[in-house]
Amino acid sequence: MAVLEKGSPRRQSRSIIEWLNDERVRSVLYQAIVAIAVIAVARYLFVNTSENLQARGMSSGFDFLSGTAGFSIAWTVLPYEAGDSYFRVYLVGIVNTLIVSLVAIVFATLLGFIMGIMRLSKNWLISKIAAWYVEILRNTPLLLQILFWFLAVFSLLPPPRGSFGLLDMFFLNNRGFYMPAPVPGAGFDYTMIAILLAIAATYAVAVWAKKRQMATGQQFHTFWVGLGILFGLPILVFLATGSPLSFDFAALKGFNFQGGVSVPPAFCALLLALMIYHSAFMAEAVRAGILSVSHGQTEAAYSLGLRPGMTLRLVIIPQAMRAVVPPMISNWMNVVKNSSLAIAIGYPDLVAVYMQTSLNQSGHAIEIVAMVMLFYMSVSLTISMALNYYNKLVQLKER
Amino acid sequence: MSLETLDSGQEHIASAISDEVVIELSKVNKWYGEFHVLKDIDLTVYKGERIVICGPSGSGKSTLIRCINRLEEHQQGDILVNGVTMDTNLKNIDAIRRDVGMVFQSFNLFPHLTVLENCTLAPIWVRNTPKAEADRLAMQLLERVKIPEQAAKYPGQLSGGQQQRVAIARSLAMNPNIMLFDEPTSALDPEMISEVLDVMVGLAESGMTMLVVTHEMGFAKRVADRVIFMDQGEIVEQNTPGEFFNNPKSDRTKLFLSQILAH
Amino acid sequence: MAETTQDDVVFRPKPSLPPPPNTVGVVGWLRKNLFGGPFDSLLTIVGVSLIAYVAYSLYQYGIANAVWEADTYRECLDVTKGNGACWAGVSTWMNGYMYGRYPDVEQWRVNLAGVVLAVWLAPFWFPKIKAKILVGMSAVLTFPFLAAHLFLGGEAGLFLQVMVAVAMTLFATVWLNVGASYLGYPSLRVALLRLSGFENKGDHLHKYVLLGAFGVGFVIAFAYQSTWELAAVPTQNWGGLFLTLVISGIGISSALPSGIILALGRRSKMPVIRVFCTAFIELFRSVPLITILFMAVTMMPLFLPVEINPDKLVLVIVAVCIFAAAYMAEIVRGGLQAINKGQYEAAQAMGLNYWKMMTLIIMPQALKVMIPNIVGNFIGLLKDTTLVSIIGLYDILLMAKASGQDGKWLGMHTEPFLFTAAVFFVVCFCMSKYSQHLERTIGGGYGRR
Repeated sequence: MAVLEKGSPRRQSRSIIEWLNDERVRSVLYQAIVAIAVIAVARYLFVNTSENLQARGMSSGFDFLSGTAGFSIAWTVLPYEAGDSYFRVYLVGIVNTLIVSLVAIVFATLLGFIMGIMRLSKNWLISKIAAWYVEILRNTPLLLQILFWFLAVFSLLPPPRGSFGLLDMFFLNNRGFYMPAPVPGAGFDYTMIAILLAIAATYAVAVWAKKRQMATGQQFHTFWVGLGILFGLPILVFLATGSPLSFDFAALKGFNFQGGVSVPPAFCALLLALMIYHSAFMAEAVRAGILSVSHGQTEAAYSLGLRPGMTLRLVIIPQAMRAVVPPMISNWMNVVKNSSLAIAIGYPDLVAVYMQTSLNQSGHAIEIVAMVMLFYMSVSLTISMALNYYNKLVQLKER
Repeated sequence: MSLETLDSGQEHIASAISDEVVIELSKVNKWYGEFHVLKDIDLTVYKGERIVICGPSGSGKSTLIRCINRLEEHQQGDILVNGVTMDTNLKNIDAIRRDVGMVFQSFNLFPHLTVLENCTLAPIWVRNTPKAEADRLAMQLLERVKIPEQAAKYPGQLSGGQQQRVAIARSLAMNPNIMLFDEPTSALDPEMISEVLDVMVGLAESGMTMLVVTHEMGFAKRVADRVIFMDQGEIVEQNTPGEFFNNPKSDRTKLFLSQILAH
Repeated sequence: MAETTQDDVVFRPKPSLPPPPNTVGVVGWLRKNLFGGPFDSLLTIVGVSLIAYVAYSLYQYGIANAVWEADTYRECLDVTKGNGACWAGVSTWMNGYMYGRYPDVEQWRVNLAGVVLAVWLAPFWFPKIKAKILVGMSAVLTFPFLAAHLFLGGEAGLFLQVMVAVAMTLFATVWLNVGASYLGYPSLRVALLRLSGFENKGDHLHKYVLLGAFGVGFVIAFAYQSTWELAAVPTQNWGGLFLTLVISGIGISSALPSGIILALGRRSKMPVIRVFCTAFIELFRSVPLITILFMAVTMMPLFLPVEINPDKLVLVIVAVCIFAAAYMAEIVRGGLQAINKGQYEAAQAMGLNYWKMMTLIIMPQALKVMIPNIVGNFIGLLKDTTLVSIIGLYDILLMAKASGQDGKWLGMHTEPFLFTAAVFFVVCFCMSKYSQHLERTIGGGYGRR
C-alpha cells in the first residue's frame, strides 16, 4: 500500500494524531514532559527554600565550615578540641564512623564465616544452633539490639571500682573498656623493620615453594613455615634488642581508670551489635555461596584422589568465593551505613556530631545534609567500583 | 533397530583379559535409608576386562560403580580394589581413588580452571608431578582425546562432547589402572555421543580395565567382554555380549532388550 | 531375536531386607547426625551443654525468679535481687507499648481499624473467591482514608468524608461478593442483576443497575459516617506498636507500586527518564535511612512554602516511602532481569503494547520470582521503622526505652527490650516462613514438569 500512497496528497496532510503515534516523537515527548516536570519541581523547591531562608534570616554557603564549632566530642580518634572548626568536626565524625565500621566488619566477617560453616555442618545440632542464631538476629531490629547492648548490658556494668579485669591488663566497667597502650622505646624501630622483613620473607618463601613445586613436584608446608617466620623473626629481633617496648597499663586512680587505651561503652555496644547482627547476614551469604558449588565438584575431586582438605582449598573455595564475595561486600556497605545508628546511644559518629549537633548549632541544614550524604555516597561508590572490578576479575568464561 | 545393523562393519575389538583380579565385590549390600538399593552383589573383575552395566533407572547400577571408589558407602559385604580393602581407613580410600578414574554423566569439570589446569590439578597435588611434566602429559592426553587446541580455554567455552573428552583426559592424567564411566553420554546431544564413544573405544583398545554404565548397546556389542544386566538392586544376568544380546536367559532381560531396541 | 519362551529363567527379585539396625531409626539418625565420629560427638556434647545452659538461664530469669506483680522496679529488685525478670513493669506498660499515648477511651478506634483491615483482606485466603484483585486494590486504595479518619478523629473535610464512605461501600461490596459466591452465584454482579430482575433486560441497563446499587450503598455509608463524633487525637499522641505498624504499613503498601515504576524507568530506553530514575534510586540506596529521616525533618520544611508547617509524622512517612521505593526498585529490576528475553519477544510478537506486555506477561512472572526478596524487604522495612524513635516518634522501641526511664520503673531495660524483640521476632519470622510457603506453592509451578 505504501507504494501507492507515495506522493499522494494524504501524505502531506499527515494529521497530528498520526505524528503523535510515531515511536520517536513519543519518546522525545515523554522525556520532555518528565524533564520539564523535574525542573519545575526543582525550581519550586529552590524558590521556597530561598524564601524560607530569608524569612528565618539564615545564610547559605559553606563559609560556616571554618567557623568555630565550640562543642566538645566525647571520644575521638583524631585530636579535637572545642575550638576547632566545623570542618574538623566533619573529619572527626568520618574517622569515628570508619573506625567502628572497620572493626565491626573484620569481626562480623570472621563470625559470619564461622556461623555459615556451622550452618552447613553435618552435625544436626550444630547446624540447628547456627540456624536459630541467624533467625533470631535477622528478625529483630538492629536498633533494638544496639539499645539492648548499651542500656541492658554495658550501662549495667559495675563502676570502675568493681570492674571486670583480665590479667590486670584489660578492664571492663560502665565507663568503657580499657587496654594497655603500647609505648615503643628506643630501638623498637628494629622490631618494626623485622616485621616488614618477615612479611617479605614469607612472601619470598611462598614464591620459592610454588616454583619448586612446579619444577620438582615436591610440596612445601608454606603455611607453617610462613607462620614461623612471621612471628619468629620479629620476636627474635625484639628480644635481641632488649625488649624495647613497654605498656602503659590502665590503672584505677581515684574513681576512674587512668592510662592505657580506652573505648567508651557506646563504642562497645555499637561494635558488638553491628558485629553480631551483620554476622547473621554474612553467615547466610557464606552458606549460600558454598551451597552454590554443586556436589559433583566434590565428587570429581575425590575421584581424582584429592583429599578433603585439598578439595576444599583447590576446588570448592575458589568457586564459592565468587558467590560469597559480592553479597559479603554489600554487607560491608551496610555495616558502614548502619553505624549511623550510633546516634541513638551517643557514640559520636559522623551523623551524631555533624548532622545533629553541628546542624542544630549552625542551622546550615542543606549544606550539612549534603556533605553527610556525599560521604556515604562516596563510600558506596568506592565499594561498588571494587565490587565491579572483582566481578570482572572472577567472571567465569562461558560460551 | 536390529542387532545386525548395530554391529555392521564394526568388529569386536580384541580382548586383553589377564587372570589378575583387580576388583572383587562379595555380598555387598547397601541401603538408602530404608530402601535396599544393592542386594548381595558379587562381582569379580579381571585386569583388562571391559564390562558394560545396563538396566532400568533405579536398578542400582550407578550406585554399584560409585561404591567402587567410595563416593557411596556400602553397609555390608567386602570390596577389594587392587588388593586394597575398602574400609573406613582414609589411607586405603586415598590409595584406591588414586588408581581408579571416574567419568561422570554431568562432566563435573572445574569451571574456574582451564582445560589444561583441569588435567594437571591432580597430578601436581596428588602425585607431586613437576608442572612441566604434568603439562606435557596433559597435552599428550588432550591429543589423545583430540582436543589439544582447546587447552587454554575454560570448560564453559566448550561443547558437551568436548567437555566429556576433557573429563576423560583429566581422569587418565592420574594414570589409573581402572576407569569407571557413569552414563558418560546420557547428557550429550546425539551428534556428540560418537566423539565420546570413539575416545572410549580407543581407551579399550589400549587395554584399560573399564566398567561402563551406559545404554549405548552398540558400544557394548563392540567393546564389552561382559555385559551385566541389573534390576532392583541385583545382578539379573551377565554374559558375553554375543550371548547376552542374541540369547538372553532371563525373561526380565528379554523385556528390557525389547524395550531398548524397539525403535 | 529375544522372544519369551517356556525355558526362560524367570526373574524373581530378592526380597528387600531391612537395613542394619544401626543405620536407621533413632539409633541410625543419632549416629549419622550427632555422633558420626569422635569430633562430631564432641561438638554434639558442647552443643547440648550450650543449649542446656541457655535454656536453664532463660528459665531461671524469665520464669523461676520472675516477678509478675509489683508496683515499682524497686519492689521487683527486692524480690529478684537482679536474678529475675520484672514482668510486672512490662504488663503495666503494655498499653503504652501497644498504643503509645493514644487516649485509653479512644483505643477502640485503633482496634476497630485493625479488625476491619483483617476482615477486609480475609477473602484473599478463601479458595472460592475469584475477585482477589478487587479485594487487594480496594483495601490498599481506600482503607488508608477510613483508617486516617478513625485514627485522627475530629472534623473531617468533605474529601475525607467521601473517601471514608467509598471505603465503607467497597468493604461491603467485597463481603457481599463473598456472600454471593457462597450462595452459589457466579459473582456479586450477577446476584444483583438477578435479584433486581434486570438480568434478562437490555445489557445497557446492567451498568445503571450496578451503579445505582453502589450509589445507594454510598449514600447510606455517607449518611452513617456523618453521624460519627470522634474526638480528635493529634499524631503526637500516636505511638507504640500502632505507630510502628502505621508507618511500616504505608511504606510497605506504597513500596511495590513506586518501586515498579522506578525500576521500569531505570530500564527504559529513554535516556532522560533512565537517568532520573537511576539517580533517584542510587542516591537513596547509598545513604543510611537515618540521614533520609533527618533530611525529611530538617530540610523538607525549608523546601515547602513558608506558610505550610507539615506534621512530623507526615514527613517521616514520606521519607520512609522514598527509602522503601528505592530499595524495592532494585528488587523489581532484579526480578525483571530474571525473565527470559523470549517472554518479551513472544509478548511483542502477539501484538501487545508496552504496558499490556508488562502487566499481562512480564510482571506476573517477575513478581513470583521476587517473592522472597520482596518479603525480605518488607521485613527489613518493618525493622527499619524503629529508626523513627531516633527523631523522637514514640514507636514501640522508644516506648520500651522510655518505660525504663520513668520514675517508678527506672532502670528496667532488659525486660521491655526482650518483649519488643519477641514481638518483632514473631512478626518477622512468620512473614519469612509464609514467604517460603508462598515460594513453594506459587513459584514452584515453573521448575517442575
